[in-house]
Amino acid sequence: MEFLLEILTEEMPPDHVRTGLEQLAEGLGRELAGAHIAVRSLKTYGTCRRLIILADLAEAQESKERVVVGPSKAVAFAADGSPTPAALGFARSQGVGLDALEVVRTEKGEYLGRRKAEAGKPAAEILASVLPGLVTALSFPKTMRWGSLAFRFSRPIQGFLCLSGGTTVVFEAAGIGSGDSTIGHKIHDPRPLTVRSFSEYQAGLRERGVIIDPEERRAAILAQIEAKLEPLNAKLHPDAALLDKLVYDIESPCVVLGSFPKDYLGLPLELLSTAMREGQHLFSVVRDKKQLPNFIGVADARQDAASLLVKGNERVLRARLEDARFFWEQDLKLPLSKRASGLKQVVFQEKLGSYEDKTLRLKKIAAYLCDKIEAANAKEDVVQAAELSKVDLVTELVREFPSLQGKAGGLFARAEGFPAAVAQAVYEHYKPVGLEDDSPSSLAGAILSLADKVDSIVGIIGVGVQTTGSSDPFGLRRNALAVCKIVLDRKLSFSFPRLLDKVLAVYGDRLTRPAKEVRAECREFFAGRLRYIFERMSFRYDLVNAALGPGFENIEHTFLRVKALDKLKASPQFEPMILMAKRVNNILRNQPPAKVNPDLFEEKAERELYSSVTIIEGNVRPMIARGDFGQAQTILFRIQPTLAAFFDKVLVMAEEKKLRQNRVGLLQAIARLLLEVADYSQIVVEGERSEKGADIRPKA
Amino acid sequence: MSLQDLIMNLQRYWTGQGCYLAQPYDLEVGAGTMTPDTFFRVLDKRPWRVAYVQPSRRPTDGRYGENPHRVQKHLQFQVIIKPSPADIQRLYIESLVALGIDLGEHDLRFDEDNWESPTIGAWGVGWQVMLDGLEITQFTYFQQAGGLDLNPVPVEITYGLERLEMFLERKDDIYDLDWSADATYRDLRFREEKEFSEYNFNQADIAKLHKMFAFAEDEARALVKKNLLLPAYDQCLKCSQAFNLLDARRAISVTERVKMIAQIRAIVTEIARRYTTVGEEA
Repeated sequence: MEFLLEILTEEMPPDHVRTGLEQLAEGLGRELAGAHIAVRSLKTYGTCRRLIILADLAEAQESKERVVVGPSKAVAFAADGSPTPAALGFARSQGVGLDALEVVRTEKGEYLGRRKAEAGKPAAEILASVLPGLVTALSFPKTMRWGSLAFRFSRPIQGFLCLSGGTTVVFEAAGIGSGDSTIGHKIHDPRPLTVRSFSEYQAGLRERGVIIDPEERRAAILAQIEAKLEPLNAKLHPDAALLDKLVYDIESPCVVLGSFPKDYLGLPLELLSTAMREGQHLFSVVRDKKQLPNFIGVADARQDAASLLVKGNERVLRARLEDARFFWEQDLKLPLSKRASGLKQVVFQEKLGSYEDKTLRLKKIAAYLCDKIEAANAKEDVVQAAELSKVDLVTELVREFPSLQGKAGGLFARAEGFPAAVAQAVYEHYKPVGLEDDSPSSLAGAILSLADKVDSIVGIIGVGVQTTGSSDPFGLRRNALAVCKIVLDRKLSFSFPRLLDKVLAVYGDRLTRPAKEVRAECREFFAGRLRYIFERMSFRYDLVNAALGPGFENIEHTFLRVKALDKLKASPQFEPMILMAKRVNNILRNQPPAKVNPDLFEEKAERELYSSVTIIEGNVRPMIARGDFGQAQTILFRIQPTLAAFFDKVLVMAEEKKLRQNRVGLLQAIARLLLEVADYSQIVVEGERSEKGADIRPKA
Repeated sequence: MSLQDLIMNLQRYWTGQGCYLAQPYDLEVGAGTMTPDTFFRVLDKRPWRVAYVQPSRRPTDGRYGENPHRVQKHLQFQVIIKPSPADIQRLYIESLVALGIDLGEHDLRFDEDNWESPTIGAWGVGWQVMLDGLEITQFTYFQQAGGLDLNPVPVEITYGLERLEMFLERKDDIYDLDWSADATYRDLRFREEKEFSEYNFNQADIAKLHKMFAFAEDEARALVKKNLLLPAYDQCLKCSQAFNLLDARRAISVTERVKMIAQIRAIVTEIARRYTTVGEEA
C-alpha cells in the first residue's frame, strides 16, 4: 500500500530540509516497526518548501494471537473429565461453546483457555495516531514560533498532504489539518493540486513547476550549466557548498549566464568569487583557472526569455564588485605593517588579550615549531607570516567580507611584494576548516596554522572556558581536529607535551588555571580528537585504545602505532602474544617495582628469557625512536615462545622473597618495554570480546 | 513609477490589509524596527497592524554621494502585523504584484537570513527576499524583543525603498531615481549625503559624542526609575545614534563596542520588562 506525506512549509534552510527528512524517515520506520506494520520500501524527497516521504507499507498490522486464560484445569474439570460449572461459566463469558476452549500451559500450570486471533489495526489508523507526534518531534538547528501557536518548527507549516492507499490520512498538528492537496510553485504556478497517488503528485507538481527529487534537480542544474559553459570552453570555479544549497533552495532550476565589465578582472579571483557567492549566490566562471568576466546564476524560474534575470543580476553584481574594488584599493593604500598597530584594539579573548598579543605569541610558537620539525629553512618566512597573519582583521575588506579573513591577508601581502611563501602562509593559515578540507599546501602555512590553533586551544582552556557537547564558542574541537590533520597529512614528528609546555611558557601568567591542569586537559582533549579521527579511519576501537594507551607523546607516532597494530592483527603471532602480554600484566598486578639481578637467576628458562629480552630491547629501541612500530613489534613478538617456556618452567611467585622479586623485576622490565609500543591490555581477542567490548574509555 | 508613487502604492496596499498608517518617528534611528511603533507594540499580547515609512541612518554607509548604491540615510517601509497571519507570505507577494511587477518574468526567492539587534535585545527568524539577486526586503518572524519572548509572534516586513525603486526603474544609480515626475533623488538628497558623510566620517566630535552617550544613558536610567518608559526609550535611541557616529569615526575599540551595546541593552530590557508588567496592570 502506498503511503505519501508532504509537509508544506515556508522556505527552510537546506540543512534543515536534510535533517528533517532523515528524522522523518527514521522516525516513521521506528513507529511502524513498533506497530508491527511491514515497510517494504521508504524514500524521501524534498525542496526548501516540502518535506516528502513515500513508502510502501502493509495494509494493516500483522494479526496477533491472544490467549484468554480461564480457570485452572483442576478446577475446570471433575475427576471423570467432565466440565465443572466453572468451565461452563468461562465458556459463556467468552460467548463460545466448550469445544472452542482448550487447555493451555502457563507459568503457573495448566489452565482452561481460549485462543483468539486478533486482526491487526489498519495502517491508516496507526499512521493517523503517530504522525502528529512525529511531526512535533522533528528537531532543527534553530526553531521558531509563529502566529499565536506555542508550536516550534524550522519555518511555519502551511499544510499536510497525507495519503495511504489513495485515501486521506486525517490528522492534525501545529493547528493544521491534513488533506489530499498541495500547491504548485509558490511564485510561478500556485494552483492547488489534489491527488490520489504519488505518481499523480509528482507529475502534477512537475506540471506546476516543481521538481521534487533533489538528485534530479542537481542533475538538471549541472546539465544546464554545462550547456551554457561549453561554447565558452569554460568551467565553474568549483563550489560544492553553494551547489548543495541551490539544489534545495530552488524548485524549478533555470541557469543563466551573465557577464560583468572586464576592468574588474584586476581583482583577485578569491575576492571576485566571494563577492559573487555571498549575497547573490552566483558561481564564478574560469578558463585554465583564470577568471572570465562571467558568472553563472541558478534562478528559481521556468525561463529567462526576456533576459530580465540576467540583466537584474548583472546590475546587482556590478554594484557589489564596485564596492569590493573600493575596499581593496582603499586597503592597499595602507601597508599591512603600518596597519598592524590596529590589532591592539581587536580583542582575541577578554583574558587572553588582543590580536596584537596573539601575534607576538604566534611568532614565538611558530619559531619553536620550525626548530623542532627541522624546518629551519622556513623559519624566517614563517615568523614574518605570523607577524602579518592577523592584520587583515583591521581592513575594510574583511569587515565587508568576513569569510575572506586570512585569504585577504595573503592577497594583500602578495600585492605588497612580500615573498611568495610568506603570502601563501598567511593566505592558508586558517586551513583546514574541517576534516574534509585540505591542509595548507605549504610547509610555512602548515606551521603557522598549527601555531595559531594550539595557541587558541591552550589559551582558552587555560582561562577556564568550558567546551561541552553543545557549546564550543571558540571552535576548539574544530581547531584540534585541524591540528591532528595537519600533523598526519605532513607526517610531522615532534613532542606534543613539549609543545604544550612551550605555549604555556609563552602565555606566562596570563592563564588563570594551574599549568598542570591545563596540560592534562589539553592532552585529554587532543586524545579525544585523535580517537575520533582514528575511528573515522575505521581502525578497531580497541586498537585505538592500545595505541593511545602509552599516553601520546607524539601525534604522528600514535598514528603509526595504531597503523602497525592494524597491520599485525591478522598475523598468527598476534593473538598468542596479546594473551601472553595480558598474562604478564595479570601476574604483575599489585606488585611493587622490583629490580633484576642476573646473578640470582636459578632456572635455565629465566636466564634465556633475560638474555633474549636484553637482545630484543637493544634491537627495538632505535625502531621505536624512529616510529617504526611495525618492525619493533615483529621483533618483540619473538619473545613469546621464550616467555611461554618461562611460564611453563618457572614459578614466578616463589616462596623465597629475593627469588620472587627478581622474577617480578624481569617481567616488569618486559611490561615496560611492551608498553612503549602499545598497551596490549586494551586489545580484545577472541573469547573475551563480550566482557571487554563495552569498555571503550580512553586510558589516561 | 516614481519613488513617491511606490510609497503611496505600498501605503494603499497595506492600509487595505487593515494596517494603520503611522508617520515616520522623529528621532534618528538605524532601522524602522527601533521606533516605538514597532518596539513597544510587539511586546504585549494585543493584536497590532501598522505600516509606515522610516528614514533610517547608517552613518558608516555614507559615500559622499559618490557611490551609486550606498547612502548614509535610506528609506524603509515597515510593516508589523501581530499575530503573524498564516498567509502573510502570500500577502507580501501580492504587494509586489500590486506594484506592477510580473513575477512570472523574475526570480523571487526567500533566502535564509536570521535578523538580530543586540542593542534592543531582539532577534527573529526569516529571510532576505531577493528579486533577481537584489535584496529588496527583510522578512522576519520576531521571536524576542527587549530580551522577552514574544507571544503572539509578530511578523515584520521591511522593504528597502530605494532598492525596490531601482529595480522598478531598472536604474544603476540611486541618484538617477525619479522621486516624483519632475524631481530626482539627486535633486533632493545629494547635498545631504555629501555633507553628512563629511560630518559622520571626519567632523563629528568624538569627545562630545561620548558625552552625549553618557548624558542620554544617565537620563534613560533616571526615567526608567520613574516608569516614564517611552521617554526613557527615546534616550536609548539617542545613545544608539551617538554610538553609530562614534563607530563611523572608528573611535570605538571592539571591547568598548561590546560594552556600550550591553549598556544600552540593559536599559532597553528593563524598559521592556516594566512595559509588559505595568501595561498589564493598567
